[in-house]
Amino acid sequence: MLSGPNYGCRQAGIVRHGLTAVFSLLLFGTAVQPAHALPSFARQTGQDCAACHVGAFGPQLTPYGIRFKLGGYSDSDGKDGHVPLSAMLRGSWTHTRTDQAGGAAPHYGSNDNATLDEASIFIAGRLADNFGAFVQTTYSGVDRATSLDNTDIRYARQLTLGGKDTTIGISLNNNPAIQDPFNTLPAWGFPYASSDLAPTPAAAPLLNGGLAGQVAGLTAYGFWNDSIYAEVGAYNSLSSGTLNWMGISDDAGELSHPATYWRLGFFNDMKKQNWSVGLVGLNASLQPDRNGGPSNKYNDIGVDASYQFLGTRQHVGTVNARYIHEYQTRNASFDAGEATNLKGSLNELNFNASYYYDQTWGLTGGYFSTTGSSDPTLYGPSGSPDSSGYIFQADWTPFGKESSWHAPWANLRLGLQYTMYNKFDGTSSNAGDNDTTYLFAWLAF
Amino acid sequence: MHGRQSIWKGLISLTITGLLLGNSTSHAAGDPKLGADMFAQECSECHSVKEGKNKKGPSLFAVVGRKAGSIADFVYSEPMKQSAISWSADKIDAYIAHPRQVVPGGKMKYDGLEEEKDRADVIAYLSTLR
Repeated sequence: MLSGPNYGCRQAGIVRHGLTAVFSLLLFGTAVQPAHALPSFARQTGQDCAACHVGAFGPQLTPYGIRFKLGGYSDSDGKDGHVPLSAMLRGSWTHTRTDQAGGAAPHYGSNDNATLDEASIFIAGRLADNFGAFVQTTYSGVDRATSLDNTDIRYARQLTLGGKDTTIGISLNNNPAIQDPFNTLPAWGFPYASSDLAPTPAAAPLLNGGLAGQVAGLTAYGFWNDSIYAEVGAYNSLSSGTLNWMGISDDAGELSHPATYWRLGFFNDMKKQNWSVGLVGLNASLQPDRNGGPSNKYNDIGVDASYQFLGTRQHVGTVNARYIHEYQTRNASFDAGEATNLKGSLNELNFNASYYYDQTWGLTGGYFSTTGSSDPTLYGPSGSPDSSGYIFQADWTPFGKESSWHAPWANLRLGLQYTMYNKFDGTSSNAGDNDTTYLFAWLAF
Repeated sequence: MHGRQSIWKGLISLTITGLLLGNSTSHAAGDPKLGADMFAQECSECHSVKEGKNKKGPSLFAVVGRKAGSIADFVYSEPMKQSAISWSADKIDAYIAHPRQVVPGGKMKYDGLEEEKDRADVIAYLSTLR
């Protein structure tokens, strides 16, 4: 997915062959894309989409949605016969300020491209008591390929700890932070949809999709007294054969030992409004050559915060923010002559705010920035990984509420998104050439 | 003697008035308009006020005066079914103040509405749903 900064390219350390490699890595990003509100969850629980999602369409979760996810997607209305299947389609039109020489992607023109972004089938919902899944398989119209997408399979139990309600669980998933319940980390951050046919910055921390789809991880979590969240887990690379079987390109290399992931959060739900703060960390050692050799080490640490005003749900406002700092030790890239400096760092800042009227009409504005230490070999002509800009989105979600037409089967969001760059891959001049207008129609049923 | 009788009469009438007022201020003083907003904020995620529309919780259409666990098309918890509660204003008030104390082991995952005035508003709103 040639998406916005939240799902941009893999981390800079694995950029090996200039722009060609960047392009292929960007395409690799289609393997795992942000997922969305699922009607099968609504059918299972009897709830409206708006109960779990801000703006009656995913993925931005309300406190109810956070609890449903942490409960293992298994909460239900107590009735039998719910089928945990959903489907989703998203089509779009993309315009970039200047044409993309040679075409935006194979089979596409240099500008003003219409496409089917994705068609997905989900196994999503309760599979047994305390056990549920969110497994997405996606056909990418740009890649013309089908692959396993977001995967999060959970087992969770409710218990009392220190006299307080506590949820504990485990998650088997394929992208660090895809299992996170908050709306701030890259896997679920704004923008929730973005163009596969527009240029995006090359550098991003590993936590921003760098291992998406390439790994399998098991994490254990606890949510105590509806307030304190803690999680820890480890990820390992999937084999080439497994990736091939799942339709995912084997592009990221191999973890030389399991990557560790941890998360701490504090959540305060006051019904009318809620807020959260958190810390997150990912430590990985990625070996570009699966046959052996040195590794690039990534130590990511981040801080995030969110606020939601829900009120009577007629006027809803949200603010989400995150900052991730990444330390890199590029043993492999340095040895291969692909990096001038052995050590380096990246900083990613992402901030966005949204307003929804009547759970139908939405406006969102966001700022993004990636900065880091320069490296003339690793970061191409500019020698800098810096990129920054703004994203604005207006959307309309006519369904997904209690009285909606054919609820909860019919779900639609129409959106217009504009991304403008102040800086792109280290340069300010001509950064605006990459400005992107993205018009999309998103269906779920 | 006459003076003493007057004092007694006054005390009795004050007590009766107080009881009546006490009974009415907790519920009848509620503002249904404010209650609708409070309902939207606190309850509407899980409860519809439409007749026959059950969500995570049962429809609250005409809930005042209804017997607990009586909607056929809703799966109640056993404790709720066995509670034998009739949803008078007083019972609703007690329940939404402390759900787990009134129906231990029930399904409703709600900590309770703390302010008496807020509860009165919600009950006033629910009383309009007929």
